[in-house]
Amino acid sequence: MKYAMLLCAALMIVGSPSHAADGQKPLYTVVDGNKVDPNTLKGFHTWRAAACDRCHGANQEGMVGPSLIESLKVLTKEQFVQTVRDGRQDKGMVSFGNNPRVMDNIDALYAYLKGRSDGAITQSKVQPIE
Amino acid sequence: MERSGTPARFAPTVLATALAFALPGVAQANADLESKIANPKNWAMQAGDMFNQRYSKLKQINVSNVGKLQVAWTFSTGVLRGHEGSPLVIDGMMYLHTPFPNKVFALDLDTQKIVWRYEPKQDPSVIAQMCCDTVNRGLAYAEGKIFLQQADSTLVALDAKSGKVLWSAVNGDPKLGAVNTNAPHVFGDKVLTGISGGEWGVRGFVAAYDMNTGKQVWKAYSTGPDNEMLMDPDKTMTWTDGKMAPVGKDSSLKTWKGDQWKTGGGTTWGWYSYDKATNTVYYGTGNPSTWNPSQRPGDNKWSMTIMARDMTTGMAKWVYQMTPHDEWDFDGINEMILADIDVKGKPTKALVHFDRNGFGYTLDRTTGALLVAEKYDPQVNWATHVDMKTGRPQVVAKYSTQAGGPDVNVKGICPAALGSKDQQPASFDPNTKLFYVPTNHVCMDYEPFQVDYVAGQPYVGATLSMFPAPNSHGGMGNFITWDAGKGKIVQSKPEKFSVWSGSLNTAGGLSCFGTLEGYLKCVDAKDINKELYKFKTPSGIIGNVFTYEHKGKQYLGVFSGIGGWAGIGMAAGLEKANEGLGAVGGYRELADYTQLGGSLTVFALPN
Repeated sequence: MKYAMLLCAALMIVGSPSHAADGQKPLYTVVDGNKVDPNTLKGFHTWRAAACDRCHGANQEGMVGPSLIESLKVLTKEQFVQTVRDGRQDKGMVSFGNNPRVMDNIDALYAYLKGRSDGAITQSKVQPIE
Repeated sequence: MERSGTPARFAPTVLATALAFALPGVAQANADLESKIANPKNWAMQAGDMFNQRYSKLKQINVSNVGKLQVAWTFSTGVLRGHEGSPLVIDGMMYLHTPFPNKVFALDLDTQKIVWRYEPKQDPSVIAQMCCDTVNRGLAYAEGKIFLQQADSTLVALDAKSGKVLWSAVNGDPKLGAVNTNAPHVFGDKVLTGISGGEWGVRGFVAAYDMNTGKQVWKAYSTGPDNEMLMDPDKTMTWTDGKMAPVGKDSSLKTWKGDQWKTGGGTTWGWYSYDKATNTVYYGTGNPSTWNPSQRPGDNKWSMTIMARDMTTGMAKWVYQMTPHDEWDFDGINEMILADIDVKGKPTKALVHFDRNGFGYTLDRTTGALLVAEKYDPQVNWATHVDMKTGRPQVVAKYSTQAGGPDVNVKGICPAALGSKDQQPASFDPNTKLFYVPTNHVCMDYEPFQVDYVAGQPYVGATLSMFPAPNSHGGMGNFITWDAGKGKIVQSKPEKFSVWSGSLNTAGGLSCFGTLEGYLKCVDAKDINKELYKFKTPSGIIGNVFTYEHKGKQYLGVFSGIGGWAGIGMAAGLEKANEGLGAVGGYRELADYTQLGGSLTVFALPN
């Protein structure tokens, strides 16, 4: 539930990053659809470095793996973290539990993918907010 | 990164038996398989023969009656995902393989009854290491043994009569991404296998195992010190300045920064060929790791290379690097086809290879001399031509992802990373002297980026998007005929999707192949635009067409079961907004034609 609240806050500040609600840090901040805060940018770099696109598609649209645009509408953050950490071996999902590059940046990765799933980040490739 | 191929799980009695069989020696070892190949009623090797020609002398099914072909019987493998390769047929028995979990079935062709089945126990975590498909390209046979190269890298010998395990050998470490998709090959008294994992920083090699014991006889890496590559600086030759010359000392080490060769790829998952006359095995090595070229300066030898090795010792006779310092993932593993043809008017013992990079190469297979290198898809644009003196492709700066640098999306490169052709093997018809080539007609945008190597994790370093070749027929494939002596396309038959199925030519004047929508097609070998027969099988075809004869009747068969890179390989453009809501790109439409599901369809003429 905590994340639902965070999400509401995040959605409110899309396009107006200066208005973070009640001093709570937004999950992500987006300007013009493709310019993001440093944490979310880190999430994009993590997504790319771990080659998630090979299964989930360059735009998270799903290929042999499911669409993360859809999956992140359903998964809680805890479920997301668990899936990335432990993998889903029967479905071919890699376990990234031993990959520090992914696990150390899991919050950033979640922020980026949630932003994509919410439709706030309108294209896969993002840039820093100037 | 050292991975040794130690035999595992030997039962002492099995070992003793195997050693006893090993004693008769080399000369006899090949005779059995050769006699099986010589009988066209069998389909005893994945390519039908050791030259990789994919040609059958059977002609009961021919140009005049193929239109009457009917389905004789079908068999479900019970496995989803991509079905590459084909079954083998030996003396009235058929041996089928499946993608992971790599089941093997032995069928009695009199009754189509399953005589035995084998299913290895493999750690399912290997599935993820094979991202994104769990294909297997088939079995090998010799001297009453069936050889299975499992996904988890274990090479297994099974008793062809009972399915009992005779020996097994561990070929790589799947935890580091060293897995297998290739078919093993029997040449002489050895079983040859390679390794996959170019996207995991695996250091490629080919290893030869004693057919009777599973003991590793030699192992030749694609990169690194000369002794580990089984390369002789003075005797291993390569095309240099218009002639063959020794490779020299440290020919690989000199072309890598630091010890990047240790995680430098050059994997070996294609179809190998063998020339008994010179005891030489031929294969290709794959892309260097990572896909971000700026990170690995140098030519990255001997990735992207045609290798010719002595089968007994593994020593490299000659090598030829097709794509020095790869910038596009033009993985050089495609099959080497051996054929005696006229090259520029001169009778030649040739090696013909259709590379992922879009060039069709003809070399003198005895000396390694470069004879022909021409585009086999006119859309190929990343290089203007291959300089015949240096043997190097002349790269067009606009399509250089090295020149673009990290985080720059280089657009409109043809072909795409899946190549003008991928692993789907071509056929050679000794009657027409032409090569029949299933091709891709796909281009790409390619954006490299910096990555760090983490053992056992993906090591890719580029985001790709692929699309049908622009300003063409709109489809993503062609089936072509190729004159390898001249380096010219003779005919080109457009296809809606990539032709990702190995073709077969027969003495009946036919050339047959499968399509991603699921059609088996047979065309007139003399005019491939004449489609003489087509039939829609249960799923898309990425398997290879094969033929055999049983009780006086010729049969033609093919696996269907969509998957592999072709089935999943389409990503959307990175810069297209709001397209994350569904799969986009050329292959999206494939879902309108076919679904997953592995089965074999066998055809024959009506009685």
